[in-house]
Amino acid sequence: MADMTHIERAMAGLENKPADRLMTYPIACGVNRKLIGNGITYREWAHNPKMYAQAFIEGQKKFDFDFAIGLMDLSVMAGDLGAHVRMDEQNTPFVDEPIINSIEDYEKLEVPDVKKGRSAVLIEGTKLYCDVLKSQVITAGFVEGPLLALTQSAGAERVFMDMFTNPSAVHRALAVMTDYDVEMTKGFGQTGCAGLCWDYLWGNYSCLGDAEYDEFEGCSKYALKLNALTLKEGMAVAIHNCADLPHLDTQIKKFNPSIYSMAYYPLIPGSLTASEVIAGGYADKTLVAGQIDPQLFIRGTTEKITQVTKDLCQEVKTALCKRGLNNSPKYIIASGCEVPPDIHTKMENIAAVVDTTKKYGKFDT
Amino acid sequence: MSKEAILSKLSDAVVNGKPELSEQGAKEALAEKMDPLEAINNGLVRGMSIVGDKYAARQVYLPQVLMSAKTMYAGLDILLPAIPKASMSSMKRCATAVVEGDVHDIGKNIVKTMLTAGGFAVTDLGKDVPIQTIIEKAKSEQLNALALSTLMTPTMDGMKSAVDGLVESGYRKSVKVCIGGAPTSPSFAKEIGADHRDANAQDCAAWLKEVL
Repeated sequence: MADMTHIERAMAGLENKPADRLMTYPIACGVNRKLIGNGITYREWAHNPKMYAQAFIEGQKKFDFDFAIGLMDLSVMAGDLGAHVRMDEQNTPFVDEPIINSIEDYEKLEVPDVKKGRSAVLIEGTKLYCDVLKSQVITAGFVEGPLLALTQSAGAERVFMDMFTNPSAVHRALAVMTDYDVEMTKGFGQTGCAGLCWDYLWGNYSCLGDAEYDEFEGCSKYALKLNALTLKEGMAVAIHNCADLPHLDTQIKKFNPSIYSMAYYPLIPGSLTASEVIAGGYADKTLVAGQIDPQLFIRGTTEKITQVTKDLCQEVKTALCKRGLNNSPKYIIASGCEVPPDIHTKMENIAAVVDTTKKYGKFDT
Repeated sequence: MSKEAILSKLSDAVVNGKPELSEQGAKEALAEKMDPLEAINNGLVRGMSIVGDKYAARQVYLPQVLMSAKTMYAGLDILLPAIPKASMSSMKRCATAVVEGDVHDIGKNIVKTMLTAGGFAVTDLGKDVPIQTIIEKAKSEQLNALALSTLMTPTMDGMKSAVDGLVESGYRKSVKVCIGGAPTSPSFAKEIGADHRDANAQDCAAWLKEVL
């Protein structure tokens, strides 16, 4: 089959049609700031929409990905709600002073103005890279789901215990977070991005069972409402969940996203390999992305990550064939979580994943 | 109240995540002149073991485990001060810490709980702990084991710095070092000179019981 464009290939995958090769998107986001000039700091990148966008544009130019999905980090919403975010330049930012420290604090949450703060950087920056890249690749914004935004604002341990002892307070806060997400979704709806990727991290069996997840995120008040709004705003729903043991039946079969990004944990019993995910029918209607260990982008040699990618391509192609999905790029060769935005990340390893997928992901090899 | 009834009350309190019942049971145990260690081991710890097994079998999840842990500590706060110092001195000493630059501490807190339930005397150094503090505490508290955790990639190097620092301080041979957290692996543990990488809190406690 002749070489397809990135968008033709993605559409083939979404429509269960044959394509020339598997697609690839190592989740290289913050790390691409190293490609701007002589490199900029994380703080500069995460506070300036032009620089935020430029990193994705430079990344596309250098690596020729099949997608552009604009993840910043998971402290954007909590930070704009008033939590203190620690931004060590060479580390992923994180909340070090939550804003919710008592049951009463759940009541004090108010939706911030998404035209200010890093929420605005995220939305404006997404528009800027979509303007440039949407004719080349499928683009998407990225946003934290309500439960994740709440745990970032309060600390996960507090929220989990309060689910047990003060569920009504948690629900009141989740309602505010969902309203915040509604505003974010409407903002992303104006950017021209083709999809919106939701981080629904806590849908995993290491943390929550089906009942708890359904009550605190998976239900019509929260995730289902936001998924429906995403579609209404003209964007496809994508989901990223890099936790171990994700709730695949809920997040893929019930939520029905166009793309689902997940990780594999070889040491966790029950963690599914790429071929097991495909055999389980999860890639039948959704493009599933995974599952290269993000550590390899820092600690692996280029030879090692090339071999891992080659093996994953072969595993995926075989599994797709067994599932009757021959030659359809239903599985995206990606990192299981973000490529670490660390100065020591090896850019050549990102290139190796893309180049190896282009070569060994071809359906006629 | 009979001894068995008090022990059941303590165990049930932990299983059901009821801190106030745990405090009540602990006070009743002391009022009845029970051996506090027996109340801990056959009451609180028995309950926590049940919860640990249920968590491993995915019959309960993190909210319940965290509440059970809180309940166990509510009882321990009352019972531990009543243990004669001589009995405490025979306990193996461990410390838990999330290394500098990382504040994700749920996993570390579960490890602390399981080590406590496993009969170790645990010092929790907390989260975002400077490497020098970890090294100094290991020596000054004569620790038998150190359980280090991180959930983030850039902070993994802090684990190596901790192990290297222990070597430099001359204390490395006296302390077992186990690591955990999503980005870590047995090969990383080997690479940095740690003794073990644990997939979960129960494994960590079981491994340390075996080697110490």
